Amino acid sequence: MWIERKILAQEIPASAGMDARQLSELLASLGFPVDGVATRGGLEALDVDITANRGDAMSHRGMAREIAAKLGQPLTPIGTPAITEQSPVIEVRLESPACPIYSTAVLELGEGATPQDVQAFLLALEASPKKLPAVDASNELLHRYGHPTHAFDADRIQGAVSIRWAKGGETLVTLDGVTRTLTGQDLVITDEAGPIALAGVMGGEGTKVTEATRRVLLESAWFDPKTVRAVARRHSLHTDASHRFGRGADPAMAVVARDLLVGRLQTWCGAKLVGVWTVGSVPAAEGALVLTEPLLTRVAGEPQSLAEAADALRRLGCSVAIHGDQLSVLPPTWRHDLAIAEDLAEEVVRLRGYEHIPSVLPPLEGPPEPLSASFLQRQRLSRRLAHLGFHQTVTYGFISPEADAPFAAPENPAAGRTLSNPLGQEFSVLRASLLPSLRASAEQNFRQGAREVRLFELAPTYVSGPQGPAERHTLGVVWGGALGGEDYLSPARSVREADLCGIAKDLGWAGLPEVHALGEGLFGFEVPVAELPQAAARIIPTFRPFSRFPVVERDLSLLVDLGQSYSTLAAAMRSALPRDILQDLRCVDVFRPKGLPEGRQAWLMRLRFQADRTLLGEEVDGWVSAALMAAEALGAKLRA
Amino acid sequence: MDQLLPTEILEAGQAFPGALAACGDLDALLRLKGAYVGREGSHAVRLMELLKAAPKEQKRDLGAAINGLKQQWEEGLKARQAELESAKKNLNALADRWDPALPPPTPAQGALNPLNRLMDRLVEVFRPLGFHVEEGPEVETEAHNFDGLNIPEDHPAKASSDTFYLAAHPELLLRTHTSPVQVRTLLRVAPDLTARGGIRFLAPGRVYRKDEIDPTHSPMFHQVEGMLVGHGIGMQHLKGTLEYALRALFGPHTEIRLRPSYFPFVEPGCEVDVSCPLCGAKGCRVCKGSGWVEILGAGLIHPNVLRYAGIDPDEWSGWAFGMGVERMAMMLSQTPDLRLFFENDQRFLKAMGGLD
Repeated sequence: MWIERKILAQEIPASAGMDARQLSELLASLGFPVDGVATRGGLEALDVDITANRGDAMSHRGMAREIAAKLGQPLTPIGTPAITEQSPVIEVRLESPACPIYSTAVLELGEGATPQDVQAFLLALEASPKKLPAVDASNELLHRYGHPTHAFDADRIQGAVSIRWAKGGETLVTLDGVTRTLTGQDLVITDEAGPIALAGVMGGEGTKVTEATRRVLLESAWFDPKTVRAVARRHSLHTDASHRFGRGADPAMAVVARDLLVGRLQTWCGAKLVGVWTVGSVPAAEGALVLTEPLLTRVAGEPQSLAEAADALRRLGCSVAIHGDQLSVLPPTWRHDLAIAEDLAEEVVRLRGYEHIPSVLPPLEGPPEPLSASFLQRQRLSRRLAHLGFHQTVTYGFISPEADAPFAAPENPAAGRTLSNPLGQEFSVLRASLLPSLRASAEQNFRQGAREVRLFELAPTYVSGPQGPAERHTLGVVWGGALGGEDYLSPARSVREADLCGIAKDLGWAGLPEVHALGEGLFGFEVPVAELPQAAARIIPTFRPFSRFPVVERDLSLLVDLGQSYSTLAAAMRSALPRDILQDLRCVDVFRPKGLPEGRQAWLMRLRFQADRTLLGEEVDGWVSAALMAAEALGAKLRA
Repeated sequence: MDQLLPTEILEAGQAFPGALAACGDLDALLRLKGAYVGREGSHAVRLMELLKAAPKEQKRDLGAAINGLKQQWEEGLKARQAELESAKKNLNALADRWDPALPPPTPAQGALNPLNRLMDRLVEVFRPLGFHVEEGPEVETEAHNFDGLNIPEDHPAKASSDTFYLAAHPELLLRTHTSPVQVRTLLRVAPDLTARGGIRFLAPGRVYRKDEIDPTHSPMFHQVEGMLVGHGIGMQHLKGTLEYALRALFGPHTEIRLRPSYFPFVEPGCEVDVSCPLCGAKGCRVCKGSGWVEILGAGLIHPNVLRYAGIDPDEWSGWAFGMGVERMAMMLSQTPDLRLFFENDQRFLKAMGGLD
């Protein structure tokens, strides 16, 4: 919101001597940071950021109130013309509690235009003057005092005016030219022909003030904030008026703003008052709030004097009475945000300045909790993978249905994981798998010229269920491209599926992971983190003795059928060997040299034996032939 | 004496030094040796035959001349052989010598994600104060994401223009902040809060808001939430904790500044600025010359948040803060575009995340 410095200084003369920088610092210390300063037509305006709870601050008067309270300096009194309420010229009926007060007047407009300085003020705020005094005056009042008002062309109003809920299906063409179809939750101003304005949001096209307007009906009311917010949202119509009524305008300003508007029209264009009257009344204030000394002291962080707190609250417009160790506080009509004692404590501390809050470490009242095993496991996994050469990615949790489908189990339908309002179809399904995202990241890296890509992600994947999608932490790993060949010792080769199995094994995955071919030379797997081993509960495991006698190593070169299952063969060989002496049995080479019979391949099997004694050559020979026999039973043959 | 020797021997004798020098290796030298002093067909053999056939009176002089020649050749060959052998030895030594400047095989190097690293760092910073980590699901209920946090039922953040909802479960949404973890945790610990002596935790995680992707917006980003509940907790404790934590993060000379602000789930609320860690508060592009950068939002827990969880706000109070991880990462690294954090280019990850 733009605040023009000259008008601000008219409201709070003490600000006149401050430059833009000083004002910005002062406002920021009060909770109103300044985003920028602009000069338009020789007037300097500050762009002030106002939080959603402070509708009362959305005007020059509002800002002036804050500065006055902080500095303890007086505000300029609002000069209203002497106007006496009269009997209604047009009947006004309040038919909804959402509008408790409606202050109005009818004037006959004379000759004259919006004064130059008011036009310049509006231009400085980026609010374009319409050069229609009734419209510009209403606009100027809004920015200056924060109270939205409206002027209707009185000659276009038919019969009595009502403030009521719209009837479903009624329509209204608003000032922006849009035809609005209304519902029973829309608060409207109507005449006997139908709606003429969306209350507190926008006037109607049919009754708008134009160059031809001779008589105006002024509206200065107060509308329920919640109602205005709902109407503005329903019609996606956010206006200066709806922002202020929606955050809570000052009901006591209804009559004042009407008087100010009348006064301006009389001065600016010699308007003649036809009638001036108010229907309804300012709603009764809520009860007083109680602020106790202990609460104030706790929030402020050090003992506070109640008398000083009372003074601060009074400077903010509250009525305050001190009763013993507590204050009884009635907030001013414009401060709808002061609803509980903590709000009052905040105001006292805020006015004093947050820089005065002491700095204290909170005492520990109980034993600290350890980090959860699951959290530590994920930290450990990511560090391990980073050390294994993998890069941790972060990708969106939602992907396209096409990318999701190939990796989703049939019992995990996408319908249960679909967003109702995605950013786009490509971001519409909570993913069942990390692999589509990892593949996309890998492809992107290859497109960027990467020779080898190693990526992993630790993130939830989603499983549809009756209660909504369940989440489980998942680890996805992809690896592809060329390996080695980048120095004089390491031979070059392509990444293979087996490389991924090695990683899964390194992470403690029992068994074989399902390795997916994700593209040319790109492979990946994913596993639920919960199924990977966690760190052992014991800091140091129980000692298990190991043999100090030498290991005996034997290699067996076997010819086996293509398609022979390695795990079957290895299990068969193992079962033929003494379990406590066989240290290791593994295939260390697979090859198909020329001259091998069709349909066969060679596996070089390495067997390692060790016991708590020196092994004899003959007994090892015996085991090796037993292993060979077991292999032969599966069709293998010793390679000559 | 030379007239006693045939011309071709004389020529061979003259060519010998040149031929010797031209021998580049031991094989060539061997061939030369064969030609001059070999047992068959060599110049030396010819000379001996010459000597045998010579008249008696010439034998003496001819013998001396022949011996002189043979000796000259043999010595020359020997010296050249030693030279060549030594050169070969030197070459062998050179071939065996390892040049450490040759690029060695290097273990593959990966990297943690910079966002995860920053979150882990925050956890480390808060651990000594007794904070642990609480986590919650990304798919949340409206109750946890909004209602339990004193966010009014008609708050604009609830609109489908701001928050993602599930099609099959209209009451479920993607959490818009890590604050629902507050609600879940408080609900869980409320029954034994006294036995625990309050609670203090961090909640790092991914959150979602319906923002179009651009250099400063992403529909998914990370937050770290912090919360502490105890007896008599006030703004001084918030300030004290944040001062400790931000100094641990940015250095001991870091200053912090609290400014009043508003969030529905705290009262009082504040924005927290930190003296610019990049220029030491002298004023730079990052702090826009002000010496301060906004780092997080915080405040004392609103009594309604405690009440929702079944905690008596007359007995207990606390503070909470929330910070945007990407925002902080961008500020600290001066990364110009938020989208880089989600492109997962290995070069970016290596440079920004690295290893521990």
